[in-house]
Amino acid sequence: MKVVRIGLALLAACAGGAAAAQQPGAATATVIAVPPMTSPDTGAKGNEMLAMAWQATQLIATDLRQTAEIMPLTPDRKDYYSYPEVTAPTFSKWRDKGAKALLTGFVQSRSDGRMTVGCYVYDAEKGRELGRIGFIVAPSEWRRAAHKCSGLAYKAITGAPGMFDSRVAYVAETGSPGARVKRIATMDSDGFDHHYETPGGTTVLTPRLSPDASRIAYVSYLGGIPQVRIIDLHSGEQRPLIGGTGMSFAPRYSPDGSKIVFSMMFGPNCDIYVVGANGGYPRRLTTAPGIDTDPSFSPDGSKIVFESDRSGSQQLYVMDADGSNEQRITFGGAYASPDWSPDGNWIAFTWRGGGVRRIGIVKPDGSDQKLLTTGPADEGPSWAASSREILFQRTDTSARPGLWRIALDGSEPRKMTIPQDGSDPDWSGAMD
Amino acid sequence: MMRKTLFIVAVALATPAAAQLRLPHIIRRPGQPQPLPPAQVQPGLQQPIGVLRTDFATQAGGTTAYFMSGSAELSPQARTVLSGQSAWLRLHPEVSVRIEGHGDSNDTRDHALALGARRAEEVRNYLMLLGVPAAQVSAMSWGKERPGAPRAVTVIVPSGGPAGVAAGGQP
Repeated sequence: MKVVRIGLALLAACAGGAAAAQQPGAATATVIAVPPMTSPDTGAKGNEMLAMAWQATQLIATDLRQTAEIMPLTPDRKDYYSYPEVTAPTFSKWRDKGAKALLTGFVQSRSDGRMTVGCYVYDAEKGRELGRIGFIVAPSEWRRAAHKCSGLAYKAITGAPGMFDSRVAYVAETGSPGARVKRIATMDSDGFDHHYETPGGTTVLTPRLSPDASRIAYVSYLGGIPQVRIIDLHSGEQRPLIGGTGMSFAPRYSPDGSKIVFSMMFGPNCDIYVVGANGGYPRRLTTAPGIDTDPSFSPDGSKIVFESDRSGSQQLYVMDADGSNEQRITFGGAYASPDWSPDGNWIAFTWRGGGVRRIGIVKPDGSDQKLLTTGPADEGPSWAASSREILFQRTDTSARPGLWRIALDGSEPRKMTIPQDGSDPDWSGAMD
Repeated sequence: MMRKTLFIVAVALATPAAAQLRLPHIIRRPGQPQPLPPAQVQPGLQQPIGVLRTDFATQAGGTTAYFMSGSAELSPQARTVLSGQSAWLRLHPEVSVRIEGHGDSNDTRDHALALGARRAEEVRNYLMLLGVPAAQVSAMSWGKERPGAPRAVTVIVPSGGPAGVAAGGQP
């Protein structure tokens, strides 16, 4: 999967664009027009490219419709425009339809069998370009190119990175309760390109994607006890993270992908360790008695948030990445499985109380805490690259887990469509 | 009968008064493993595991130690069950067991894993305290993969099989 970025620099609108960043919770979404993308090609090739362009246009509209911040007008083939109009659109036409923003683009065939996809986003009110992006891709990769165009529009309008061209790893579950068959699965964040990465014979848990989504750290019972293993998604190769026969779990990559933090159990004590992503000798970061687990790096890699029951109940703590300077940030109830947002502003967590589990967020200093879901069996939050949405596991009343996503704007959570039950989701960053 | 004597010792230890437990002295056994009672040996040669498991469950007084939610502390009832298990295990030194710890079903994934491991470790340590050799007992955690009450189950494993998972989590 190689997408080559060509010379069109991304000139995303900075703050001050008319299509200003929406605040979470804002009642109105920015309306964007997404007329069918065009092609400079003619003849049979032209028809082929136009068909591709129409598919890409519809995918972009679908992507943007899923967001809380942007409302695309439904693409209409009657709104066809010529190739020169890609960079010189008739803004008044879209203003009249109520659009504040406009996305145009083209698909062009190349002699090497690949194609060029270009996208442009405009402020329709001011008639000003907000950004452009272009790729040379194989025809089979048109979806990724379209997702990148959606990301361009999302970033131009909200200021946050788009999460359309991203991957999700999770545990696919089949079979009866108590005898579940669990496999690591990966897919695009819209459910396409779905793969199973492990056979079903061994129980597996908590897949965590590397930042470039090329590897997965996960927990496997292959050796009879839970231990962290690594899958290379390109080669299919699998190996243990570290040697030894101890129990290790709760792995997570550092933001630069060079390290993995995880938990190891010695007797009744569970501490957090860090090791190079290719293995080596683990370094211990926490020393308090109790269960310290679920570490997650801050986006700059300087800090780690984790949960510990050293106080008697599970609470969240933040420490420097070398294990120094521990500070407790939550009090009362029980707080577990923290995940630091990609923009650094929030920590998502699972709140436990009265037999109920709910997803919430809190600032890294412990302020502004809020619960986003009502439960009763929600857990395992994982941030979208946009830092405006969270993927989590919800178990329904018949004890079947599924993957759900919720935006920070207070809208209702939505269930993702996957081929079977799913748990332990992990959402990658936007891919380059 | 040495067998009977051992059982009595173990039962005495099993009473709640065992709070002030003294370390039982390790009983040194003859080099060769003790033969099973004839009634069990005959079918046992074909399906030793099934027979052993049934015998263990009935003779030891239970395979499972239950815990309070969120806790890895052994209750008096759990200690009684484990005393019965230790008596049986000391009579069957050739049999390996794996303690399978379980977390709470309404816990989060990784805390449940750690809590299950703690429960298994607690049970393993108690069995060792009652004189069961460390090499005979391994421990592992299912977290919340096998829903049910907070518990640790003592499971007989095939000799030379995957019981070899190192106990206690030493790297």
